[in-house]
Amino acid sequence: MSGITQTSNKIPLDAWRLFAFIGVIAAVFVLFTARLFYLQILEHDNWLRQAEENRTEEISLPPQRGVIYDRNGMILARNEASYNVTVTPAFLPDDAAEIEEIVVQLAALTGTPVTLGSIDEPLIPCGDNLGVREMIAIQTSFSPFSPVLIECNVPRELALSVAERSVDWPGVGVQVEPIREYPTGDMTASIIGYLGPIPAAQEVELRALGFVPNRDKIGYGGLELYFDEILRGTPGSRVVETDVGGQVLRDIEAPVDPIAGQNIVLTIDTRLQEAATSILKNEILSWNQYFNEIRMTSGAAIAMDPRTGEILAMVSWPSYENNRFARFIPAYYYDQLTQDATHPLVNNAVGAELPAGSVFKLVTAVGALNEGVVSPDQVIQTPGKITVTERFFEGETGRDREFVDWNEAGFGSLNFLGGLANSSNVYFYKLGGGYQDEVPEGLGVCRLVTYAEALGYNAPLGIEQPYETIGLVPDPTWKRINQGENWSTGDTYIASVGQGFVLASPLQVLMSAATIANDGVQMRPTLLYQIVDGEGNILQDFVPEERWDITQDPLIKEYENPSGIGACRETGELKTVEPWVIETVQQGMRGAVQFGTLAREFANVTIAAAGKTGTAEYCDETAFALGKCVYGNWPSHAWTVAYAPYDDPEIVIVAFVYNGNEGATVAGPIGRKILEAYFEIKAVDAAAAEGQ
Amino acid sequence: MRTAIWRHFDFWLLGAVAVLITFGIAMIRSTIAGNAELIELDILGRQITYSLAGFVVILIAASVDYRLWISVSRILYVVIALLLLVIILFGGTEAFGAQRWLNIGLVIIQPSELAKITMIIILADYFARNRERVKDLAFIGRSIALTMGLVVLILLQPNLSTSIVLMTVWFALLWASGLELKHLAFFALAILLVVAIGFPFLEDYQQQRVINFIFPDPEARFGSNYNVTQALISIGSGGWLGQGYGQSSQVQLRFLKVRHNDFIFSAISAEFGLIGALAVLGLLFFVIWRCVRAAQLSQDAFGALVAYGVAVIIALHTIVNVGMNIQLLPVTGLPLPFISAGGSSLLTFMFGIGLVESVVARHRALNFS
Repeated sequence: MSGITQTSNKIPLDAWRLFAFIGVIAAVFVLFTARLFYLQILEHDNWLRQAEENRTEEISLPPQRGVIYDRNGMILARNEASYNVTVTPAFLPDDAAEIEEIVVQLAALTGTPVTLGSIDEPLIPCGDNLGVREMIAIQTSFSPFSPVLIECNVPRELALSVAERSVDWPGVGVQVEPIREYPTGDMTASIIGYLGPIPAAQEVELRALGFVPNRDKIGYGGLELYFDEILRGTPGSRVVETDVGGQVLRDIEAPVDPIAGQNIVLTIDTRLQEAATSILKNEILSWNQYFNEIRMTSGAAIAMDPRTGEILAMVSWPSYENNRFARFIPAYYYDQLTQDATHPLVNNAVGAELPAGSVFKLVTAVGALNEGVVSPDQVIQTPGKITVTERFFEGETGRDREFVDWNEAGFGSLNFLGGLANSSNVYFYKLGGGYQDEVPEGLGVCRLVTYAEALGYNAPLGIEQPYETIGLVPDPTWKRINQGENWSTGDTYIASVGQGFVLASPLQVLMSAATIANDGVQMRPTLLYQIVDGEGNILQDFVPEERWDITQDPLIKEYENPSGIGACRETGELKTVEPWVIETVQQGMRGAVQFGTLAREFANVTIAAAGKTGTAEYCDETAFALGKCVYGNWPSHAWTVAYAPYDDPEIVIVAFVYNGNEGATVAGPIGRKILEAYFEIKAVDAAAAEGQ
Repeated sequence: MRTAIWRHFDFWLLGAVAVLITFGIAMIRSTIAGNAELIELDILGRQITYSLAGFVVILIAASVDYRLWISVSRILYVVIALLLLVIILFGGTEAFGAQRWLNIGLVIIQPSELAKITMIIILADYFARNRERVKDLAFIGRSIALTMGLVVLILLQPNLSTSIVLMTVWFALLWASGLELKHLAFFALAILLVVAIGFPFLEDYQQQRVINFIFPDPEARFGSNYNVTQALISIGSGGWLGQGYGQSSQVQLRFLKVRHNDFIFSAISAEFGLIGALAVLGLLFFVIWRCVRAAQLSQDAFGALVAYGVAVIIALHTIVNVGMNIQLLPVTGLPLPFISAGGSSLLTFMFGIGLVESVVARHRALNFS
C-alpha cells in the first residue's frame, strides 16, 4: 500500500460525523416529502386543472358566410379559399441554425426576402415591407404562439408544397382563409358593402357567440352590415386534446358543427344595375367632357317596381372597389375614400340629404288639389317673378320680397296641368303661399309637411341599408329650434318648390313619385327578395309590403291654422287624399313628358311615360369653398323622376346628378335611358320565356 | 479471500440500485413515447446498454481491491485534467451550449463525470494519509488546491453544476475527516463570499437561472420558468397514486420538458403519484444509507472516505435534482442518480457503487490480527 501512512489511515472516522451527514440528508428528504405532499395532495386540484387546461383547447369552427344573389341567381358576394403561408415562432426548433435553415428555404419557396427592413417597422399583415427573419423576430417578441403571415394569397400548388414540408419545418404552416369575393365589384359595392375585422367594441359580444377576432370578419357596410346576423351563421366548436406543439390529437367532446349563414336573394337585377351604372356614369362623364371640367362629381339612380317596392337597380356613383377590402382594409385606400368630397363609401341613393327642388312640387300639387287651394281648371297667371310681402309674424307689415321663376320670361296663363308639366315656380309659389285674390289661401307650411310625409318624406323608409337618412321637411317649430328664427311667409313660398330647408334622399323622391304612380298606395321599398338556405330551400319568400294607401288610410292631418306661419296646431282630425287628386297629378306628370319639361328628352320614347324634373339650387360646403354661392345664381343639382307605362306603371326611376345644373337636360336622359334599358331587358326575358 | 469478498458483498445495495435503474428505464420509455427525435437517438436502447455495462463495472470494481485505485488516482487526475484542457482548447461536442463531451470514436465520454470519482479517490487518499493534520489550515489549503485544479478546468467549460459537486465532495470529505467546528464556521463565511463575488463572473444563462429562481416571472409562457411551471403541474397532477404509467397528459403530450432527463422525477410523480415519488426517494435514501454503512464498516479511513464520498455525490445529485423539480432549488443540469437518461452519469454512479461494494466486501468485522 504505497503512499499510505498506515497509522493515519487506521484512525477511524468519527461515527457522529457520518450520522450528522445522514441526519442532514434525512432532514432534506423529510422536507421534500412535505413539499410533495403539499403539491400532490393539498394543491392537487389546482395543478390537475392546469394540466387539463394544458391539454384541452376549445377551437371555434368558422361558419361559411351566406352568399348574396341577385333576383336571377347571379352571385353578387361569395366566399373563395385563399392560402397564406404562416410561421408560429413558438413552434420553431430550439436550435438557431435549424431556424435559419427554415427561414432561408421558406424565403426561397415563397419569394419573400430573407431579410428586409428592420424590426422597428410595423408588422403589416400580408405587407411586403419586411423579410421573413424580421417578421419572425417581431412576432416572437409580440405573440410567439400566434402565426405570423409570411406570404398571403399564394397559389394552391405552393400552399400544398409548403404543407408537405411543414412536417420537417415545425412552426411553418398554411392557413386557409375564406375571402369574400364580389364578382360585380364597384358596380354593386354601395349596396352590398364590405367586410372588416371584428372591432374592439363588439369583441366581447361576438366572442360570446364563438367568433374569433382577427379570423372572422363582420359586415362593415351595405347589406353585409345590415344582414350581418343572417349572413354570418353560427360558429361551431370542438373541445380537443392537443400536445405541446398545438397539434390536435382527438376530440374530447362531440364536436358542434358550424351552421352556415343563410343566403340572400336580392330584388336587384344585375343587368339593369349594370345598365343604370354605365348610363349614369357616362352621362356625367360626357357632360364633364363637354364642359371641359369636372363639374358634376357624383350621382345616384334607383329603379323600382312601384307595385311591389322591389328595387331593381340602385346606383351611387362614384363607388369603391369592395374587392380591395377582401383580405384587410388597406389604410391608404380607406383614407383616400373617406377624404374624398364625393363620399364614395356612402350610398347616396339612400344616405344623402339633398335639396329636392322641383320634384318636391308633387307634394305641393297633391296638397293644393286635395285641400281645394286650386281647382284643376283654374287658370293662374305665371309671370317671370312675383313680389309678395314677407312677414315673420301674423299681422306684421313686412317687407316686399321677389320670388323668381326659373323661366325668366314666365309661362303666361296656366291651369293645373300646365303648371305641373312646365314646372312653373310661380304657379307653385302661389299654390303654396297664396297670392292676393288669385289664390286667397295657400296650402301653408303645416299642410305641406303632412302631405310630404304621406308621400314618403321626412322619415326613413325602412330600406335594408345602414345609415338611411331621414331628410327634412321643415315646419315653424323646427325653424324656431334649429335656426332661432320665426317661420316667415317667404319660407312657405320657398318650401313649396322644394327649396330652402327641404332635404330628401333620392329614395324619398322616388317613393313620392312611386306613390302617385301606384294610385296612392305606397309599398315599402326593399332590396330583399328571399332568404334561402344552402340547399336552396326558401326560408323567407318575398311578400310585397304596403306601407299605406293615401286614398284609404287617413294620414293627412287637419290644422287649426292651415295657412299660418305660427307653430302648427293639429285639430286631431285626419283625412285621406281623394283618388281624383292622384289621377290629376298623374296627368300633370304625363303632361311633362308630352309637352312639358321632359318633352324634348322623351320625344322618341315609344312607351308612355310620365315624369317630373327638378333643378335644385344648393350651397353646400364644397360649393361655398369654390365661391359658387352667389346670391340669385346658386349652383344646382339635377333631378328627374319618371315612371312607365303610364296606364299601368311597373317601373319608376329617379336620377340625380350632383351639380348637374338642369334637371331635364342632365338627369332627364339618364332617367329615359334607364327606362329604355328596363323595357329592353323585359323584352329579352319575354323572348327567352317564349323560346322555352 | 475470494469467498470472503462475496460473503460481505452488499446484495441489498445492489438490489436497490438494480430496482432504481430498471424503474428508470421504464420511466424513460414512458417519457420518450411519441417523441420522434428522442426515439431516433435511441435513448432507451442506450440506457439499457449502459446499465448492462454498468453492472459489469460494479462487479469488476467490487472484485478489485479499492486500495489499488490509489496508485492510479494520480495518473487519472492528470489524464482528466489533460482531457478537460483538450476540450477547452480544441472544443468538444457541444450540447446545450456547453462543451462537455469528448467524442472518442464510438463512445462519447464526459471527462467531468470521471472527475467526480477521481476527486473522491484523490481526496480520500489525501485525507486518510493525514488524519492527524486535519486541524492544520495549511493542510486544508493544500486540499483546496488539489480540488481547484480540476474545478477551474471544469468551470471553464462552462459546467457550474459539476464544479459545485466537486467542491461539495471536498467539503464533505473534509467534514468527515474531522474538520473543526470553528473552521466550519470560517468556511461557511468563505463560501458565502465566493458566491457573492463569483456570481457576476457566471455565464449569462447561469445567472439567469438563479435570478429566475429567486424572482420568477409569473407571466412567462415559455423558457426556463415555463419548464419549472410545467414540472410543478406534472407533479401536482399526480395526486396520491398518479395518473398511471404512460397516462400523464403532461408527460405524454410533452408539456413537461427534458422529461427523460432533468425532469424525470416530475414524470414519475405525475404517473405514480406521491406514493411512487416517495418510493423512489426512499430507495435512493436506502442506497445512500448503505453507502454510509459501508463507510462505517470499512477497515480503513481511505475505504470509509471513498464509500462516504460516493454517498455524498448520490445524495447531492438527488437533492439538487429533486429540489429543482419541486422548485425548492434553482434549475441545474444534475441528473437524478440511476434514473435519469444519460450513460456517462449512470456509469459514474455505478462505478461508485462498485467501489462501495469493494469497501464493504473487504471489511473485517472480526479482525483480531
